[in-house]
Amino acid sequence: MRKLLLTSASLGVLAMASTGTALGCDPDYTGVELTATTQTGPYIASALQLAAKGWEEKTCGKVKVVEFPWSELYPKIVTSLTSGEDAFDVIAFAPAWAPDFTDFLSEMPADMQKGADWEDIAPVYREQLMVWNGKILSQTMDGDAHTYSYRIDLFENADNQKAFKDKYGYDLAPPKTWKQYLDIAEYFNQPTNNLWGTAEAFRRGGQQFWFLFSHVAGYTSHPDNPGGMFFDPDTMDAQVNNPGWVRGLEEYIRASKLAPPNALNFSFGEVNAAFAGGQVAESIGWGDTGVIGADPKQSKVAGSVGSASLPGSDEIWNYKTKKWDKFDHVVQTSFMAFGGWQAAVPASSTKQEAAWNYIQYLSSPAVSGQAAITGGTGVNPYRISHTTNLDLWSKIFSEREAKEYLGAQKDAVTAKNIALDMRLPGYFSYTEVLEIELSKALAGEVTPQQALDSVAEQWNKLTDEFGRDKQLAAYRASMGLPQK
Amino acid sequence: MTTRNDPIKHFFIWPALIIVLVISIFPLIYSLTTSFMSMRLVPPMPARFVGFGNYADLLQNPRFWHVTGTTTLIAFISVGLQYVIGLSVALALNSRVPGEGIFRVSFLLPMLVAPVAAALIARQVLNPTMGPLNELMSALGFPNLPFLTQTSWALGSIIAVEVWQWTPFVILMLLAGLQTLPDDVYEAAALENATPWQQFRDITFPMLLPISVAVVFIRLIESYKIIDTVFVMTGGGPGISTETLTLFAYQEGFKKFNLGYTSALSFLFLIVITVIGLVYLAILKPYLEKHK
Repeated sequence: MRKLLLTSASLGVLAMASTGTALGCDPDYTGVELTATTQTGPYIASALQLAAKGWEEKTCGKVKVVEFPWSELYPKIVTSLTSGEDAFDVIAFAPAWAPDFTDFLSEMPADMQKGADWEDIAPVYREQLMVWNGKILSQTMDGDAHTYSYRIDLFENADNQKAFKDKYGYDLAPPKTWKQYLDIAEYFNQPTNNLWGTAEAFRRGGQQFWFLFSHVAGYTSHPDNPGGMFFDPDTMDAQVNNPGWVRGLEEYIRASKLAPPNALNFSFGEVNAAFAGGQVAESIGWGDTGVIGADPKQSKVAGSVGSASLPGSDEIWNYKTKKWDKFDHVVQTSFMAFGGWQAAVPASSTKQEAAWNYIQYLSSPAVSGQAAITGGTGVNPYRISHTTNLDLWSKIFSEREAKEYLGAQKDAVTAKNIALDMRLPGYFSYTEVLEIELSKALAGEVTPQQALDSVAEQWNKLTDEFGRDKQLAAYRASMGLPQK
Repeated sequence: MTTRNDPIKHFFIWPALIIVLVISIFPLIYSLTTSFMSMRLVPPMPARFVGFGNYADLLQNPRFWHVTGTTTLIAFISVGLQYVIGLSVALALNSRVPGEGIFRVSFLLPMLVAPVAAALIARQVLNPTMGPLNELMSALGFPNLPFLTQTSWALGSIIAVEVWQWTPFVILMLLAGLQTLPDDVYEAAALENATPWQQFRDITFPMLLPISVAVVFIRLIESYKIIDTVFVMTGGGPGISTETLTLFAYQEGFKKFNLGYTSALSFLFLIVITVIGLVYLAILKPYLEKHK
């Protein structure tokens, strides 16, 4: 009998081996090797690698992560996509490149677009950033929205509270409006105490324009006119020099004067260093600021890191009526700066099913949640569950810090008025023009209006050069608007 | 025994020649061809022939002239300073001044540091709030200086880093030159009661001229190619005030993927360097002939 059982079992194993199935592989991708590509690590690449390890154990497949320097990544992907070669099964890319990639991507399988895990993805990603002309072509694997960080110890100091109220006539608290943000920066700008008001990125090539966009979004992202922040979505005329933009730029320049000396050379890395180094009372930026600020190994202000949503405005420029619209409340506008890395499967891949399965695993609540709290992965919250699991975040934050941080992250991606980042073919051409004029305005060589007039003129020229109709179609798709 | 007409020579020569042609000439020809095309990777646009359109656009672009001026300024001032300091130090080392042994060991170090690393060090040293230089200034009661954020200071900082990093190369070359000068000329001059200044002016400098010309030429060309130091220290800012030719080419080529335009820019860059080199050699030719 024992012999019979052993023989039967052996035959069973042999039969399974001969058909390629293996025990414990679910689903079984034995013999399947995926090639995934992204920028040189650790950011994002390490998230792909961490997930690859778990996926390999689960499915018996293999994932080879190929990394390219940031400047090389776009041409590597675009040339492989346009040539139709089967070079990559998974691509992880910056959302701004989506307009150039979407024609060559496969659609997300229908079964991934339902269920609790799907609903858990913040709506702005699920319904807008992952969608192109009604099709879901990518999966967000990192959430990127700007939020506000502040020093709890300074804000709750009784002397500061009294002195601030005496000077400005209202309580010292996380700002609701951009004017309050500047008041706070002005109050805390005390160079003699080695303390400055705020820190933002002002350096050309150092993510500066996303910080400007955050200011501008509050004045130009009109709830009734979605998609009108950068261009008129009917004509593709640049909106970059309208009064809302000018006010945003004026305040951005004002913030630079209330920042540490040499802040004009700050990229986001220096913003984090200034905040974690206790040099500034507040700052705006991505979620990394809070995580770095809370880490006692990297920060002098650990335990005092407060977070909130970006400030807003009760006046928003209406590009259609060309007037300021006054609201009876402050409209809190969230800006999806950069928009978060996307993972997608090229239509040319011969292993699409396995590739999407890997992406599903990579972005699952458990795996992505772990990545979000692991320093160096570059993954910020993009699922509702990322922002509600206090236990997960208590490893790096105090309870209050965690509550505020997660609250700010959640509000950023679920706000009623969300401004999407610019995603257009020729993105770098547009942003380079802006960066140069911004730097001139920051240096005081030109006025904000002159700088933005010049940007508008050059943006319109670029739009004509690239094809206005083509750019208009891409812009509308990127803003989630139906094609005309 | 083989003769000059032995056909076997073709077997050895032609593969090498073809390899050289493929590796060095083909990319040049391809790049030259691209410079006459409108070719963009972003957004992908079909390539089309535009003749000298890219060159005309560049020559009419104020940014091209601005970056050419900035590059020229950085190159000439930094190389000038490198030569003056380098020659002074080389003369001192050649005269065996005290401490010369230690200096000989350490003076090469800056040259061995990668430019990116040197720029990162400089960026930290010049940091306004955490950098030692401004800390010292503050301790002495002076205000923080905008080393990297105001055009004139930023240009000065870049030039200072260039001088710090590349003066050792100039010292090395000039010292080698000095050590090959014949002693008997100096002995004869001493017999004629020539002062040290006269010896320098009439013997050392003229005899060192050929190597000086070569050193300055090499450094000038290298300085025109500066990108890493500028990229790390200022990113070309504020605005485009410290942007150099190669950084401009990088922005066009690797950020905007405007390949035709970038190729034209590369060839204009080649022309600028060639013209400067030819003018430089033409100016110095009479002096070189005179002291041959």
